[in-house]
Amino acid sequence: MPRIRRTIEKIHKIDEEELIILKKRVDIATAVIIVFIAILIARLWFLQIKKGEEYVKLSENNRIRIQQIQAPRGNILDRFGRVIITNRPYFNLVWTKEDAPNPDEVIKRLAQILHEDISNLLTSIREASGQPRYMPILLQEDIDWQTLVYIENHHFELPGVRVEAVPSRDYLYGNMASHLIGYLGQINKEELENRKANKYQGGDLIGKMGIEKLFEKELRGEKGYRYLEVDVLGFEQQILRHQDPLPGNDLQLTIDTDLQLTAEKALEGVGGAVVVMDVNTGKLLTLASSPPLQLNEFIGGISTKVWQEHLNDPLHPLIDKTIQGQYPPGSTYKIVTALAGLGEKIITPQTVFYCNGGLNIYNRRYGCWKPSGHGAISLQRALAESCDVYFYQVGQRLGVDKLAAYAESLGLGQKTGIDLENEKPGLIPTAAWKKKKKNESWQDGETLSIAIGQGFDLATPLQICRMTAALVNGGKLYKPQIIEAIMDPEGATIKKIQPDLLGTVYGSAQDRNLIIKGLIDAVNTKHGTAGSAKMSSITVGGKTGTAQVVRMAKFKSIPQSLLPRQYKDHAWFTCFAPAEKPEIAITVLVEHSGHGGSVAAPIAKQVLEEYFKDKIVVETDQ
Amino acid sequence: MLRFDRRLLQHFDWIILIWLALIVTMCLMNLYSAVYPDKPPGTPVYIKQLYYFIMGMGLVLAIISVDYRIFMAWNYPMYGTICLLLLYALILGKTQSGAQRWINLGFFNLQPSEPAKLMLVITLASYYSRKDTGKGFTLKELGIPIALTLVPFLLIMKQPDLGTALMLGFIFVSMTLFVKLKWQTLNILLGVCASLIPIAWKFVLKPYQRQRIETFLNPEADPLNSGYHIMQSKIAVGSGLTVGKGYLAGTQGHLDFLPERHTDFAFSIWAEEFGFVGSVLFLSIYFFLILWGLNSAVSSRDKFGTLLCIGVVSLIFWQAFINLAMVMGMLPVVGMPLPLFSYGGSSLLTTMAGIGILISVRMRRYQVPG
Repeated sequence: MPRIRRTIEKIHKIDEEELIILKKRVDIATAVIIVFIAILIARLWFLQIKKGEEYVKLSENNRIRIQQIQAPRGNILDRFGRVIITNRPYFNLVWTKEDAPNPDEVIKRLAQILHEDISNLLTSIREASGQPRYMPILLQEDIDWQTLVYIENHHFELPGVRVEAVPSRDYLYGNMASHLIGYLGQINKEELENRKANKYQGGDLIGKMGIEKLFEKELRGEKGYRYLEVDVLGFEQQILRHQDPLPGNDLQLTIDTDLQLTAEKALEGVGGAVVVMDVNTGKLLTLASSPPLQLNEFIGGISTKVWQEHLNDPLHPLIDKTIQGQYPPGSTYKIVTALAGLGEKIITPQTVFYCNGGLNIYNRRYGCWKPSGHGAISLQRALAESCDVYFYQVGQRLGVDKLAAYAESLGLGQKTGIDLENEKPGLIPTAAWKKKKKNESWQDGETLSIAIGQGFDLATPLQICRMTAALVNGGKLYKPQIIEAIMDPEGATIKKIQPDLLGTVYGSAQDRNLIIKGLIDAVNTKHGTAGSAKMSSITVGGKTGTAQVVRMAKFKSIPQSLLPRQYKDHAWFTCFAPAEKPEIAITVLVEHSGHGGSVAAPIAKQVLEEYFKDKIVVETDQ
Repeated sequence: MLRFDRRLLQHFDWIILIWLALIVTMCLMNLYSAVYPDKPPGTPVYIKQLYYFIMGMGLVLAIISVDYRIFMAWNYPMYGTICLLLLYALILGKTQSGAQRWINLGFFNLQPSEPAKLMLVITLASYYSRKDTGKGFTLKELGIPIALTLVPFLLIMKQPDLGTALMLGFIFVSMTLFVKLKWQTLNILLGVCASLIPIAWKFVLKPYQRQRIETFLNPEADPLNSGYHIMQSKIAVGSGLTVGKGYLAGTQGHLDFLPERHTDFAFSIWAEEFGFVGSVLFLSIYFFLILWGLNSAVSSRDKFGTLLCIGVVSLIFWQAFINLAMVMGMLPVVGMPLPLFSYGGSSLLTTMAGIGILISVRMRRYQVPG
């Protein structure tokens, strides 16, 4: 290989003297290395001989343990700053494997003291088998005072067992707004993987649902720690270092506790929802779904049995009906049909249709809810008395797609964008939708059902409430807002959430005012369908609705009150007040209960009375 | 090919081979203790390390069978290949704990930054041996070696692997100082380095790397992570006392207190179990190997051989010193193995290749060039 030979020749040419000089420098390198070795040996001597006894103490008789101090989670307040949810200490029983010489006996003793099946304790221990041995394992959460005292008094017989005080949630108003607020639970493996960087650890509590989950970052705060010296039995000897935890930020909701409680009380025993929105900002004063979640069942993890029971409950407590319940909007949808009819110049305020109790078209009869008929009727009265025939006529002339465009401008058929998980979009059908979904052409008769909010139409109570608000606030569609502000632990506002205007409604102010008049008549005139929401001092406007659950002919003749619950209609009522200068919109839905006017409107009235309570008092005083 | 020369065998360096075997035996023994008594699934690390050692012996044989001067002839193609491998690892390599360091070879995950260290030694030795080293280098003459170092240095820094990149720097400095600089050059370089430190701190180091250094300077700031490692390592070493707790009887390691105990913190297990006496014995054996390597440098017939040996010695020595100082809490935690003693194939193979070069140079000390 010529290349190598050339190289070797080149090397050989280099001055021999230079090589000798280089080799002399090796002595310097040797000296340098020896100095460094001496440094290492000196350090070894310092650690192992001079300070050795100290390190032996640390390693054998005492162990250094890092104890985390949980940060108090941020409080949750209502719109007036009243605390809804705060913290209280839970006394948890923990066990450290490394400190227990005879684990079996200790576990047996504990099972007796806690009156708990030994296999439950073993399960907790097995689940934590991946952790290092010095990490405490949670055996039982929130032990009672007696058990606490007993364990503290007998700690010498229970090596490795310790009671840890952990701040957890204290629900001052019980299950109020439980779907909205959500609950905490122990962090699971997957959540832990995703959050390793944020100093989460096994056993930590983390928001699992609702606001607790979505605002976990704000609420959580920052853990503190203690660097402890502990003895062989795991008892503290001294604290070497410590850093206080940083409490989480407080969340102020837009919810009004009084209104929320009133709504929940009115819904007691039935499945349903109440939504109250400040029409001028989109802030939600109430977001109530009944039955509520039983929050105490979720502390320490809900059992499969209880979970199964809730799943099978016909009232569906696990579903947040305000945002996840999708129902045919029934006659509340006539607001959309009216707005579209006016906007598309299909009708004018003076247009009159004749209702003889039904409409014969497309080879069948489409009935009005009032079999005797409304006679000659114009828009304002058709809204007040909820005449189906009038809206069949309007719908038939509009067609499904124009109706859908107006419905969408009112925020239906799409998620409202509220800061909560698993919101449902509802459904506003179009001809294209049906073609795509069912591969069938749109039938003209179906437009008639749509025009009165039956058929494919689906909406959530929150959507209907926002629609009502948009009708009366000048056509503005807001994002429903649940968080008012985020505040630091001292109470100073960090961030104030501003109303978020998403769009404007189709149609003119004149059109909307006409519809508003119709809705005021619905509550305040003799033949109006919503008389049960009428108030003496405040003018209310509203629209009832009845969402058919079954359309089978065989049930037609049977009165609603005699039907089995699951076949009964859903009752709707959506309203606003005061009519002259609207402040709030209220939407009530009661599942399987009958007519909107008789079931839903009275609930709305209770909420209205609560809201205007102080104002009424002021007026009577004057 | 070169003819086989009987004298090659006569001058074979048996001492270095025996010493190598001695250190590797201690390594396997220590690895056994590091994972004792846990039984994780798969091949135990000490068995894997034994496989790597056998592979390493093959590598040593391959290296000593050819004249080391071949490295000078083929220096630049080899250098180019390694840089390409580094680039490949950076772009397509496997990610482990946030750094792209590995190339999957099927049977073995190669970490090209390891052979890159050796490559730099060969490159610098080759470059300097062609130059007149008598009068000392000026700044201008240093341009090329600085550039040669900087290319792999930046590629490794980008992975990011602070420890290995630092190692390249140490190799460059050691070898360059060895061939001598002009005083003026040295002063300028020192000035530039000092001014670069704050810039590197701000723009080059990743947050976790900065954090490690901060933790070392102020362990209270982060007792949960890096500070915890240093503290637990010091406890393990310190509690070994004069003669140690006995083989397999260390508590710190076996109670999960010690992190990375079979890789970077391997020595703390040894120190805990064999105490001051065992540790000094270990250091004596270990550094004898390094000093013996300097002996090879003296024995060489040519400048290239001498510089090669100096480079290999500086490579092993600096890694060893930084690792040991880190384990004893004198330096911040940087990913730096103890050559021949920490678990890890790439590091072991590189180190053994280096030892192969030491043997090769010494074997050929009486060979007439050409």
